[in-house]
Amino acid sequence: MAAVVESRRRGRELAAGRLAVVMNLPTLLTMALVLAYPIGYAAWLSFHRVGPAQLRRGEFPWTGLDNYVRLFSDPLFLLALKNTFVFVTIVVVAELVLAVAIGLLIDQQRIWTSRITRVLILLPYAIPPIANGLIWSFIYSFQFGFLNRILFTVGVIDAPVNWAGHPETALYAVTVPYIWRTLPFAVLLVHAALQGIGRELHEAAAVDGATAWQRFRYVTLPLLVPILVVILVLRTSFAFTVFEEIRAITQGGPGDATWVAAWYSYKKAFEPPNDIGLGAASAWVLALIVGALAILYVKTIYRRIH
Amino acid sequence: MLAPTPIGRLLLHLANLLVIAFLLLPIAAVTLGSLQAERTLQADTRALIPPEWTLDNFRVIFSGGEQRGAIFEQVTYLPDNVKKIRYAFQNSAVIAISVTLLTLTMGSLSAWTIARLGYRWTRWLVNASLLARFVPVLTLMIPLYVAFRQLGLLNSVVGVIVALTGFLLPYAILILAPYFDQIPKELEDSARIDGCSRFGAFWRVSLPLAAPALASCGALVFIISWNELLIPLILVNKAEFMTVPVVINSLVGDVHVFFNLMMAICLLALLPSVILVLLLQRFVVAGLQVGAVKG
Repeated sequence: MAAVVESRRRGRELAAGRLAVVMNLPTLLTMALVLAYPIGYAAWLSFHRVGPAQLRRGEFPWTGLDNYVRLFSDPLFLLALKNTFVFVTIVVVAELVLAVAIGLLIDQQRIWTSRITRVLILLPYAIPPIANGLIWSFIYSFQFGFLNRILFTVGVIDAPVNWAGHPETALYAVTVPYIWRTLPFAVLLVHAALQGIGRELHEAAAVDGATAWQRFRYVTLPLLVPILVVILVLRTSFAFTVFEEIRAITQGGPGDATWVAAWYSYKKAFEPPNDIGLGAASAWVLALIVGALAILYVKTIYRRIH
Repeated sequence: MLAPTPIGRLLLHLANLLVIAFLLLPIAAVTLGSLQAERTLQADTRALIPPEWTLDNFRVIFSGGEQRGAIFEQVTYLPDNVKKIRYAFQNSAVIAISVTLLTLTMGSLSAWTIARLGYRWTRWLVNASLLARFVPVLTLMIPLYVAFRQLGLLNSVVGVIVALTGFLLPYAILILAPYFDQIPKELEDSARIDGCSRFGAFWRVSLPLAAPALASCGALVFIISWNELLIPLILVNKAEFMTVPVVINSLVGDVHVFFNLMMAICLLALLPSVILVLLLQRFVVAGLQVGAVKG
């Protein structure tokens, strides 16, 4: 009897291999259209001349490495790369330090204010990046800004400071809103890792007479290293593509003080004279830098975690 | 942790207050800014708490520029984007909800085949998703613009939905596949013995059990698609099809819109995702931790 039911069911249903294809079809088609094809097409476009005239005609003449030659001989692109490296370094170092500090802080069970921090730490994750940028440009505003108002009230400054409008401070000024928005991610990862560390280790170390600093330095920190490496790689590759905060707060200015790689691609491709080929070339350089980090991540770190 | 000394407790409370102040600074700024008039902002540039409050900014937004309260009486020109911001909220809602439903559906179909059927190529899909998460949106923008232009998908809500769904599917796969993997296989086996097909076992047994992962994934996808700027910015340039972040972007450097009105729009824009994060806190945290460590 069971065999009859079995065979009848087998007859009606798809073989596992076919079922896998059918169930993955929507995903594969969408990812091919939106991810795979555009990445290849971006590479193809970067070897062709693509501007408004070519878009109208629908023909893109082959130009070989011309876009890349122009890209790397453009001082503005080299400056944008340098600014990106400075930005990424500041952001990643600050986030690693803050994530460990705040992660330890919200891990304190006996401190009731830590519970408030634990809820509020998620807040920045929800804020639309472009709104975050605009809010901080209001905070930084030379005349009306809240930062200057706070500093006046506390008595730190006598005259308003143009935080985002001064070439010396602008690049540092845009790191703070970006750190603010992306910090929750790093803190949550550290928090999860801390919960995996048994309390017995700490108690044993305390019994042996280790001070709080020694317990952190020799017990907690070594156990946090794997997750800190994950944060380092992920945050580095995402910070390379910072766009919204730059767009809302400085628009690359003052002068060219805050031009970063993503801003360069966007400006070249989507603002007159719409040099889309050059924009595609610079976006591909960005993708290669991030791609190298991604492969490093998948090959070494992700495998080890599983 | 071991019990801290009284001084240690005080220091920890102070540290918490400092972090809370930093976390709330932009929220305070956007709220205070949205409840003021241009005049009060300009009159005293040093006061922390404004002397007067007003809801006129919100009145102008909700009436599409029809009801000008006291603070906008003198204003003769309002940008079209601000008058039509109602459409932007509609579009953003339609886009975020459709993308969430589509991503959850397609993502769980794929994630289940990866976890249960385990072919070499389905497992390869996990690696592809991992790598895809690193692709800068900006690299996709230029070819998507050229391709969607040729397909006639520019200036359409459907175009934005398709692009965002494809962009977010890797997140869904990375969050859902490990969860399906954890569900005991025996549950599906017993359903199959009772006469369920493979797909039926997925649909009736595993999918309902994956509800927590679906909530995590849905919350993250909704927030990311509600907040996304670049994809709709490149694919849309008419006010009727813009999303809220695109309208906010269009206000940057607009001399006709002052900070108070901008802050009111920003406050309305961040409310849906903030409310969602606070309501689904546990799921958002779980989704971020799984999606991050595993991708």
